[in-house]
Amino acid sequence: MLEAWHLPGLDAEPAEWLESQTPNGARFRAPALSAAQAGTVAQEVRRAALEARFARTSEQVIRSIAAAATKLADDGPEGVAARGLLRAELGWDEHLARDTLDGMARTWTAEALTGLVEAELGGPAVLDGFVPDAEWVGPGHRSRRALGAPVVLQVLAGNVPGVAITAAIRALLVRSGVLCKLPGAEPGLLPLFARVLFEEDALLGRCVAATWWPGDSFPAAWREWARWAGRAVVYGSHAAVEAARGSLPADTDLISYGPRTGIGVVLPDTPPGAVAELARDVCAYDHQGCVSPRLVYVVGESTRRFVEDLARALEEHTRRHPPPDPTAAEAVAIRAARTAVEFGGYDDGRSAVTAPGDSLAWTILAAERPAAQAESLPRVVWVHHVPDVETLEDVLRPLEGRIQTLGYSGSEELQKLAGIAARLGVSRIAPFGTVAWPPPDWRHEGRYQLLPLLNWTDLETPE
Amino acid sequence: MITPHVLDPEAFDVLSTELIAAFDAWSAGLGSWDEVTIDAWARRAFRLQFEGNRAYGRYCEARGVAPEDVTGWRDVVPVPTTAFRVVDLVVGSGAAVSLTFLTSGTTRGRSNRGRHLVRAPELYRASLRAGFQHFVMRGRETAAIVTLPPSFTLDSDSSLGWMLDDVRAGLGSGDGIGVATPGGIDWARLDREVSESVRSGRPLCILGTTVGFAGWLDRMEGGRSPSVRLPAGSAVMDTGGLKGRPGVQRSSVVRGLVDGLGLAEDAVVNEFGMTELLSQRYGYGDPAHPLLGPPWLRSRVLDPVSLEELPDGEVGILCHYDLANLGSVCAVLTEDQGRIVGDGIEWIGRTAGASPRGCSLATAELLEAQGRA
Repeated sequence: MLEAWHLPGLDAEPAEWLESQTPNGARFRAPALSAAQAGTVAQEVRRAALEARFARTSEQVIRSIAAAATKLADDGPEGVAARGLLRAELGWDEHLARDTLDGMARTWTAEALTGLVEAELGGPAVLDGFVPDAEWVGPGHRSRRALGAPVVLQVLAGNVPGVAITAAIRALLVRSGVLCKLPGAEPGLLPLFARVLFEEDALLGRCVAATWWPGDSFPAAWREWARWAGRAVVYGSHAAVEAARGSLPADTDLISYGPRTGIGVVLPDTPPGAVAELARDVCAYDHQGCVSPRLVYVVGESTRRFVEDLARALEEHTRRHPPPDPTAAEAVAIRAARTAVEFGGYDDGRSAVTAPGDSLAWTILAAERPAAQAESLPRVVWVHHVPDVETLEDVLRPLEGRIQTLGYSGSEELQKLAGIAARLGVSRIAPFGTVAWPPPDWRHEGRYQLLPLLNWTDLETPE
Repeated sequence: MITPHVLDPEAFDVLSTELIAAFDAWSAGLGSWDEVTIDAWARRAFRLQFEGNRAYGRYCEARGVAPEDVTGWRDVVPVPTTAFRVVDLVVGSGAAVSLTFLTSGTTRGRSNRGRHLVRAPELYRASLRAGFQHFVMRGRETAAIVTLPPSFTLDSDSSLGWMLDDVRAGLGSGDGIGVATPGGIDWARLDREVSESVRSGRPLCILGTTVGFAGWLDRMEGGRSPSVRLPAGSAVMDTGGLKGRPGVQRSSVVRGLVDGLGLAEDAVVNEFGMTELLSQRYGYGDPAHPLLGPPWLRSRVLDPVSLEELPDGEVGILCHYDLANLGSVCAVLTEDQGRIVGDGIEWIGRTAGASPRGCSLATAELLEAQGRA
C-alpha cells in the first residue's frame, strides 16, 4: 500500500483512510481529513511559509529544493524509491522511470531554478526584499518586492511523473506554502519529494502538504484548504477547472492549465536521422505528455517512406525498451482506431495502419488527406500528408490555442512554419529529439511560470 | 496480395437454408450442437464470409488467415465492433440486403453509428425465435406478448424493434399488442391489458427495455399504475440496461417487477443482445444469472492486450461467435468486459473509455470543449 500523503501538522494517526488504485493497479491510501484536520494542516503550512520568508533566503530555498528534487533521479535510496514508485504506479520499467526522472531533474537543479528566477524576475533578490526600480521615471525613488500568496492550493492531474513536483516547486520559489490535491493516476512522487525536502530542510518540508481524495469531489478538506488559499492552480480537464472554479471563494485567483496536444511537422529537407529523434519524443514519458507528438504532418512528399522509416525507428526503440502494456481501455481504443483506419483504407485506398502485427506496442495511422484528429493513446501516431506548409494553417486552425508543442525536422520554410505556429498559439517550436524535454524557463502554455503566482508591492520614496 | 474473391451466388442461400433447418431442429429438441458440429458449421461459414465478404476477406488476409487455417469457431478471425461503423460488412452484393439495423450510438455519438446489414431476415428470425422460445416462453405458449418499445414501423433502425415485432406476431398466443406510440409508451393501454389479464386469467409476457420498466415502476410507486398479481405463466423480459437512469440498479427493477406484478424472480428474464449480433442471450432474475444462449452463439473471453483466450471465470474482453450472422461476419470482438460463468457469460459492462494520457487529450475532446466539434 503506497502512502499518498504528506501532511505537516497532522500529528495523530488518521482514524479513517481513503483508498484507491492507479490504472496499473497499485493500491494507495491517504487520510480522510476532517475539516478541523485540514484546517490544522493549512495553518501549519501557512505558518511555515511565513517563517521561511524570514528564516531562509531565496538562494537557500533554491539550494534545498534542488538538493531534494535531484535526489529523486540519482542512485541513492531516494532515487531507488522514486523509480520503484513509478514502476508500481505506472507499470514502467527501470529505463523509462530513470529516463523520465533524469529529464525532469535537469529542470530541478539549482542552476536551472536560478535561471528560471532570473529569466522571469531578473534574479531572486526581489523575492527577499525591495529592489530599486531602475526604470522608474517618476519623482523620487521606487523599489519593488514580489511575493506569492502565503498559501497556494494546487489541484494536480494526469500521470506524467514530476509535473506535480515542478508545480509545487514553482509555488515554493515564490515563497508560498502549497496545499496539493494529488492525481489518482500518479499520487506517490510528490509526497516522496516533500519527505525528502523535509529531511533536507524541515522548515521547507513543512511548506508542502499533499494528499488525495476521489476526483471531482469537494470534501471538507477541500473547502477548508480553499478558505486558506490566496491563489489556486488547477491542472485538468475543462470540466475539472470549471468545477474547481465554482467551489472556490469568489476572491481567490485561479490559474488553470488545460489539456493540450502535440504536433510534429516533417519539412521537405528533413535529414534521415530525424525520425529516430521523433520516435524518442513519442516514447518519452510513455507518450503521456501534452508535449508528446501525436499528429505528424509530412510536407510535400507522400507519407509512405516516412511511415516506413518511423515504423523502423519505433520498432527499434520499443525493442530496446519494451513499453508497459496499455490498460484494457487503451487496448480497446487502440484496436478501434486501427480498425477504423484499416477498413477505411479498403475504401479510400489511402489510409493505412502500420503496426507490429497484433502487438499494441506502437501504431502508425496514416492518411494522405490532412486532418487534425488524434486520440491520446500510447505510442499511437497519426501521420498525414500536406502539400505545403501554408496548408497547415487551415488544417490546424480547429486546434488553435490547444497545441502545446510543435516539433519539426528540416529547415526549409521553418520561418513560415513558425509564423503559422505563433498564430495558432503554439507555446514552443522545437526540433525532434528535444520536444519531450522543454527547458526550465519554457513558457508553459505560453505563459510565465512564476509571474502569475506573484503579488507586487511598490515602495515609493521622495528624493 | 489481395486475391480475387469469388462467391458462388447460391452458396449463401444453401448454407442459410441449412442453418435455418438446424436452428428449427434444435428448437424442436432435435439435432446435436456439440463442438464437432459447430466447428464444421464454422469452417463452412468462414469460407463463405472470407470469399463473399470482400472487406472481411481482406482483413483476414492481412492477418495471414485463410479458410484452410480455420479448424473451428475459435480460429475464426473476429472483427472489432468499430468496423461496423466504417464499412458495410456483407456477404455478396449490398443489393441483397433487405434490412439495415443501426447501433444506438451510445459510445461514440449518434452521428457515428454502426450498421449491421442483414441479408437474410429469415435466418435472423429462425435464430431469435428459437432462442426466445427456449429461454423466455418456456411453456408459456398461451401468453399474450405485450411490447413496450417502439415497433420497427416506428423506429426502422432498431434491431430490437424488429425482434419484438417478430416474436409478438409469431410466438405466444399470436395476438399480442404493442403499446408504444410515436409519443412514447401508452401507459393507460398497458394498464388496461394488465387489468384484463388479471380478470381473464390469461398470462402476459411483457417485453421492454429496463429503462421502460423502471418508468413503469415509478408510475406504480406514484399510484398512477396499479400493482397487480399477473396470472401464473406470465413473464417479463427486460433489455438494454439502465443507460440514462444513473443511480438505479437493475436489481431494484427486478425486485419492483417481482413485487409489483406478482412474478417469481425467474420470470423476470434479462435479454442481452447487440445490433452486431443476430442471436441473443438470456438470464433469469438477479443478481446476474449467467446469460445463456442458443448453441450457435458462442463467446470467448480474451485478454484485452494480447487477445489470448482467458481461463473460465477471468474477466476480459468478450468476443462472440454467432452463426446467425452468416450474412455479415460471425466473429465479433466487442468493447465489453465479461467472463465465462458455467454454460453462459456474465456481462460486466463497457470498457470505460481510455482516459486522457497525462495532460494530453484526444483532439475531438479539445474541439468539443471549445464548441468547435
